[in-house]
Amino acid sequence: MVCPYSFDVPGGVQFHVRDLAEVFLAQGHDVSVLAPADDGATVPPYLVSCGRAVPVRYNGSVARLTFGPVTSARVTRWLESGRFDVVHLHEPVTPSVSLMTLWAAEEPVVATFHTATSRSRAMHAANPVLRGSLEKIRARIAVSEDAAATVRRHLGGETYIIPNGVHVDRFARAPRREAWTGTDDRPTLAFLGRVDEPRKGLEVLLRALPTVLEARPGTRLLVAGPGDAGDLLRKAAPPVRAAVEVLGAVSDADKESLLRSVDAYVAPHLGGESFGIVLVEAMAAGAPVVASDLPAFVRVLDDGRTGVLHEVGSAPALAAAVLGLLGDPARRASLSAAGRERARVFDWEPVSRQVMAVYETALAGAHAELVEGPRGLWGRLVRSVPGGDRP
Amino acid sequence: MSSLNVDILQVTTFVVIVLIAAAWYLSYAAARLDRLHAKVEGAMSALDAQLVRRAEATLELANSGALDPATALLLADAATESVERTTEHPLAEDLLDGQHFGGREEVEASLSEILAVTLTDEVVADLRSRGDELVDDSLDRIAASALRVRMARRFHNDAVREVRRVREKWVVRAFRLSGHAALPERVEFTDELPAALAR
Repeated sequence: MVCPYSFDVPGGVQFHVRDLAEVFLAQGHDVSVLAPADDGATVPPYLVSCGRAVPVRYNGSVARLTFGPVTSARVTRWLESGRFDVVHLHEPVTPSVSLMTLWAAEEPVVATFHTATSRSRAMHAANPVLRGSLEKIRARIAVSEDAAATVRRHLGGETYIIPNGVHVDRFARAPRREAWTGTDDRPTLAFLGRVDEPRKGLEVLLRALPTVLEARPGTRLLVAGPGDAGDLLRKAAPPVRAAVEVLGAVSDADKESLLRSVDAYVAPHLGGESFGIVLVEAMAAGAPVVASDLPAFVRVLDDGRTGVLHEVGSAPALAAAVLGLLGDPARRASLSAAGRERARVFDWEPVSRQVMAVYETALAGAHAELVEGPRGLWGRLVRSVPGGDRP
Repeated sequence: MSSLNVDILQVTTFVVIVLIAAAWYLSYAAARLDRLHAKVEGAMSALDAQLVRRAEATLELANSGALDPATALLLADAATESVERTTEHPLAEDLLDGQHFGGREEVEASLSEILAVTLTDEVVADLRSRGDELVDDSLDRIAASALRVRMARRFHNDAVREVRRVREKWVVRAFRLSGHAALPERVEFTDELPAALAR
């Protein structure tokens, strides 16, 4: 498996690769993950470093990527020593180690596309460069409808959708924390995500809070996630500031307990979400979900059957949704039960089974082909072209 | 005289270089097309293998005696028809070359539909509750192969798209780089899994 982003930096793709690798290892498969990592960083035993990641301005934001001859040599060595049955690349069009592996791989290649945000410029501009390599991919996976649509728009063609996985049981069995558990007078809401990232919509939630507090003065909002919330809070009214508790970045265990304890999890995101893994985590923990009606969220919540949806960016709608839920314990209980049921679909067990089925299908196709060796010098010259099979 | 000689030499060199470059490009394009064709053929045979597995497992379930006779007959009927039809191989010496789906779409779609209407949630729950190893095993195999059919069909169609795109290029058409290979077709049929088996 190849991950284009640095493993020591948290991120959706990295967590996906890590979890999938660990699930397959636990099932008794041999897995090796190639990813950028700093030399001194502590890495899991299945990880092979392809060098240090360099922060590069790419497509409007700074990403930590690897490239260059050193990485190229490590990719070749990894492929040669690994003797893999299948090579699974994540984000194969990011100019990093996944793309380099695609270029070099002779093994059957499976690729997973994660992003829904438009990478259009890069994808289009580099298309002639990418095309020959992309033709090597035997099976394309997208993590969501939106990611599949992005692939269709920029690269054309079909993908098989396999959702992101969640360790449902870890959330379902996490211990409740008394400090975060709501009471009738003091119900608790949770917000998770980078607080200073406008896309995550904390600002909308803070605008909705005064209305919520008017009807239910004891309400507490627990904000968990990295970033500085100072600016946002200074702008908020004093009663709002008093109701907000900033927890900062939390550990996995704390996150599980938080979602297990609160009366509702609020996802006021404004856009740019291709999946909504946190919503699944909240459902797995049994927290009723209030979420904006982004297409990805609507799908994760099974068309709104397992959560309450509100209009994107609208504070009054959000306040009404939250109050409706806080005033109706029976509805909370039924949503919590429905959410737990829904989260099962995204458990790593069925998800990893589907990924394994893709590997098998790709392998079956590869084995059916007749192996034709390069014919003489001319054949080798033709085949050693970038994107072609190496001799 | 001598200046004319040099000119001829230069022109000849230039022409030779252009010819070599053109020949190299044509060879490269042909090899690439060959690779893409091979991918389509591999994907097709993967699809074929899973369809056969699905039909066999369905037959096994139908013959297990665990189902009522009407359901069993429906399943057996659809599965038998699927087993009898396989991909057509026009070239005996190479089983993969030139194979195509041979109009099986309807047969496979009807097996998908019959699986969906017969294996409802209640029926599957009832079959599972018996603890019959053979029945459980055939249900598992139907679920596994039906899932892989879905995947294989998408991957096949994606490979078809790549071949067709390359074959539309004028160089490829003008120089007949695709040789005698038939233009691959997409395979379209309903491949929904019965909801009870999708879990």
